[in-house]
Amino acid sequence: MSSDGGTDGRATDGRVDRRDVLKAAGVAGVAGLSGCLSDIGGGGGGGTLTYGLLNPISGSYSSLGPFQRHGAELAIQHLNESDDFEYEIEIARGDTETGASTATQAASQLVEQDGANYIMGAISSSVGLALNSFAAENEVIYNPGAAAIPITGASCNEYVFRSETNTAQIAEGAAVWTLENLGSDVWFHIADYAYGQSVLREWRSRMEDADAEFNEVGVSRADLGAQNYESYISEIQNSDADVLVVGSTGGDFVRFGNQAASAGLGEDIDIMNTTASFQSLRAGLGTAGYGIYSGVRYNASLTTGWNEQFVDAYTSEYPDDGAPGNFARVGYDSVRMTAMGIQEAGTTDPTEVKDALAGLETNSVLGDNMYRECDQQAMNPVWVGQNVEPDEGEVADVELIEKFSGGDAIPSCESTECSL
Amino acid sequence: MVTGGTLLTQLLNGVSVGMVYVLLAAGLSIIFGVMDVINFAHGEFYALGAYLAVGIAAALGGVTGGFWIALVAAPLIVGVLGGLTERVTIRPLYGRNPLYHILLTFGLVLVIADGIEIIWGTQPKNFAPPALLSGPITIAGFQYSLYNYFVIAVGGLIALGTWLALTETRVGIIIRGGAQDRGMVRNLGIDIDRYYTLVFAFGCVLAAFAGIVLGAKQEVALGMGNAIIIPAFVVVVLGGLGSFRGAVVGGLAIGIVQTLTQTYVPALTGVIVYLLMVGILLVKPQGLFGNPEWQNQGGEEGDLLTGGGGGILDSSTRRYLAAAVVGVLALVPLGIGVVYSSYLPNSLVLNVLVWALFALSLDFVMGYAGLVSLGHVLFYGVGAYVTVMMTLYVTPVFWVGLLGGVALALAVAWFVGYLSIRVSGVYFAMITLGFAQLAYNLVTKFDVTGGSDGLYTGYDATYGFGLGEVGQVSLLGDIQLFYYVVLALVVGSYLVARQMMRAPFGSVLQAIRESEDRAEFLGYDTVAYKRRAFMVSGGLAGLAGGLATINSFGVGPSFLFWLKSGEVIVMTLLGGMGTLYGPMLGAGAFLGLKEILLTFGESTPGLLGEVLSQWQGILGLIFVVFVIYVPEGLVSLPETLQARFGAGGGGGGSEPATEPTDPEVSD
Repeated sequence: MSSDGGTDGRATDGRVDRRDVLKAAGVAGVAGLSGCLSDIGGGGGGGTLTYGLLNPISGSYSSLGPFQRHGAELAIQHLNESDDFEYEIEIARGDTETGASTATQAASQLVEQDGANYIMGAISSSVGLALNSFAAENEVIYNPGAAAIPITGASCNEYVFRSETNTAQIAEGAAVWTLENLGSDVWFHIADYAYGQSVLREWRSRMEDADAEFNEVGVSRADLGAQNYESYISEIQNSDADVLVVGSTGGDFVRFGNQAASAGLGEDIDIMNTTASFQSLRAGLGTAGYGIYSGVRYNASLTTGWNEQFVDAYTSEYPDDGAPGNFARVGYDSVRMTAMGIQEAGTTDPTEVKDALAGLETNSVLGDNMYRECDQQAMNPVWVGQNVEPDEGEVADVELIEKFSGGDAIPSCESTECSL
Repeated sequence: MVTGGTLLTQLLNGVSVGMVYVLLAAGLSIIFGVMDVINFAHGEFYALGAYLAVGIAAALGGVTGGFWIALVAAPLIVGVLGGLTERVTIRPLYGRNPLYHILLTFGLVLVIADGIEIIWGTQPKNFAPPALLSGPITIAGFQYSLYNYFVIAVGGLIALGTWLALTETRVGIIIRGGAQDRGMVRNLGIDIDRYYTLVFAFGCVLAAFAGIVLGAKQEVALGMGNAIIIPAFVVVVLGGLGSFRGAVVGGLAIGIVQTLTQTYVPALTGVIVYLLMVGILLVKPQGLFGNPEWQNQGGEEGDLLTGGGGGILDSSTRRYLAAAVVGVLALVPLGIGVVYSSYLPNSLVLNVLVWALFALSLDFVMGYAGLVSLGHVLFYGVGAYVTVMMTLYVTPVFWVGLLGGVALALAVAWFVGYLSIRVSGVYFAMITLGFAQLAYNLVTKFDVTGGSDGLYTGYDATYGFGLGEVGQVSLLGDIQLFYYVVLALVVGSYLVARQMMRAPFGSVLQAIRESEDRAEFLGYDTVAYKRRAFMVSGGLAGLAGGLATINSFGVGPSFLFWLKSGEVIVMTLLGGMGTLYGPMLGAGAFLGLKEILLTFGESTPGLLGEVLSQWQGILGLIFVVFVIYVPEGLVSLPETLQARFGAGGGGGGSEPATEPTDPEVSD
């Protein structure tokens, strides 16, 4: 990773702002404390930019953060090796610790100490929301890894470009499919926090508007992080529902799934979850995961866009990770799509790139794509899939059943609360 | 519509959850009843059991019976580890105030949790129940999970076995005798210490067993220890610390209450448990089965060791040193761009200052009045939430929000203090924890507090008077006005606190800490003094919380998470309680060390780098060492070192008396 010399000439204008002064001053960090500073100094303008990878490496999402980071690192590596991308990207890394306060502090470090003007990361929605605000205040481009709707909805801003598929997009594809294919007597079980509530809201409204018959049998809400779901499972078993839509993810869903299997819930009704295809969930569930349907954001077997190149490179670069999953895909797409905006703008300055990137037609792992102008959300396609018994091993495989294109899966601009 | 079948199902659900609680609480209760040790690390031994079982089952590959072998082997291994831990870390603490055990075992939590992460990584593990036990079973037309029946049966057997062992066997009688009168048992020629190791190890065995049993039903992942320890404490408090019967009844009761609440009164989920905990502590602190069988009657309570007194510097040197420190802090922002980036002062040092204020607030009550508050994060969080909410809903002027935050924190501290201060020691710590958890749960339930996402959008506080937005106004280049605002407030708070301590108010507080009875006999209303101190402490913590919201761009439930209470206690003890400046130093040391470890961890490749990145475990280890060997904190180090290595080693340091430099003790 080369670092430019001290002086640099901005191609566009002779104006030198304080960020240049800082970088040119060759920030050295408190004596002896900071080790990874080879990418300081130089920087800014001309040929290099610094991408800050801010992922949950510790805290409750620590099992997912590394994949996100690896995907982004791979993208940066590809871009640096590519002739089509004229700039050099340097990496700075930070840990959100799955907490908003620690994330904003780490972000400050990346921006002020390491000179990052692009940031990618976070999975938890409160962290993502805090970083949204941070990005706008500091005028850096931010690619969130969180799926909460407000991030490109009520809390959107012009510096935020999201490649992760959001909850509304999944619902747009999978909700009506569920009614038409699994059954019309629906029970909703959610984890009672923003994500679960948004799943309930988005699925319920689309089911109500659908032509197919819809009968809401019941709703149960568990606290986020609840350990025991058997009371809910018993309720569901004793009801008339023939489909269960679960709005929870992570450890909550693993525990729920294990307990549901123990009680034999899957034998009575079909279970549809919004994230059951995630690698970590399939691994946590083991045999209890077989047969569960889910909205699928990504699958390594896809033949769309950059995917085959991505999967090959990922499995050889990170053999311990196994096949790449959704979080790695988000990391990869975020950086590469944003890079296309940088190339288009002809500068690494985020204030100009943001204008070029919005509405720009790009490629992606999922095929042709763009960060839509009205909310800067990537128009990702979504699938409905089912976890099936694998040929070998215990962890379920994902079988894709139906695809919904990017244009079909994204809610209309009017329905989002974003006004850009 | 409640059908008989549904009710039975839910009751069975409650009992199976409750059985696991029983196993956990029994271990905790026995350890406390016999050894006076509150084992915060119990949850980590529980997790360790589950992880070891996964490892054993995996190592055995497809060997049939892998689950059963692991079920027996893993708890035994954990028992051995527990015994070792007791010998090395807990035994040196006998005779000290039991609250040091909480502190020590909290440090162990950090160490063990990070150890698990290093060995097994961050990915959750699947630990499936054996085919024999999986799936539902139908008995007389009633379908229910077979594994749950197993949990109930096995849990019940073990509980029964433990009870019999403790009441019918010789070992059990010795242990119970030792709990009543250690000295006498020793005089009878029995090495009671060895039995303590056995008790601790046995408690860990029970915890590990619970972890395996529950892990197969739920999940084996990082954080499982943290998730279970607070409910376990609630059970023990409810049933009575030290009572085995209480653990059984409490465990089953909590399990059933939790399950039934989830089904029939969902709005109360999460809070009901803490309401029960607070309720029982207010009404009957000893729990349902107070007068427990093995409660230590002797009450060998040690003192809370403070860092104050003595010291190697005289008062004028100290004053110069303090002024120098403040001067250096004031000059720190000037180095931006020259020596370091703006991250250092505007993020790192600012964070240290805020935590220093938080630690100062805790020292006010812990180091001076002797009240250990495990739920101090409550006031920090309240201050933060009110500041943000006032800015969002009332007026964006920051001072108004801060004032509101401090005011409400004062009010909450008055309320909590009013209810809780009549209770002392361990029970007070537990009540404060209960209140903090209540707040944490409540805040996620309402939209006005942002629910579980928090309030992170649109938080633009201003200075008023047309000065601009807080955190955005710079004096020169990147030097921020906010840095000096925080510095001024923190230094000001320290001076106010110190002034209060120098006044008669402070002397009375110290007298209360040394001997509450004596202070009462002298005619002081000790409860009123403690309440006042608690209020001031709460206000200061609220101020810290409000200030912290600026760099976070808002507030969220994590501002009320119990782990923060633990961290601030670590900082306070690390620095040295009872000095006011000690904990502030501790905050700097803790956060500074974390930063160093993270930086080196990132730049050092390989295993060493990975180990260094686990800063929580390393800090936990340092904390454990401090609790055992340097309980008076960093501020006592110069004195200890001088006594040890300085002029005339035999002279010995001065005793930790109260500040001799301020001899004015009124009345």
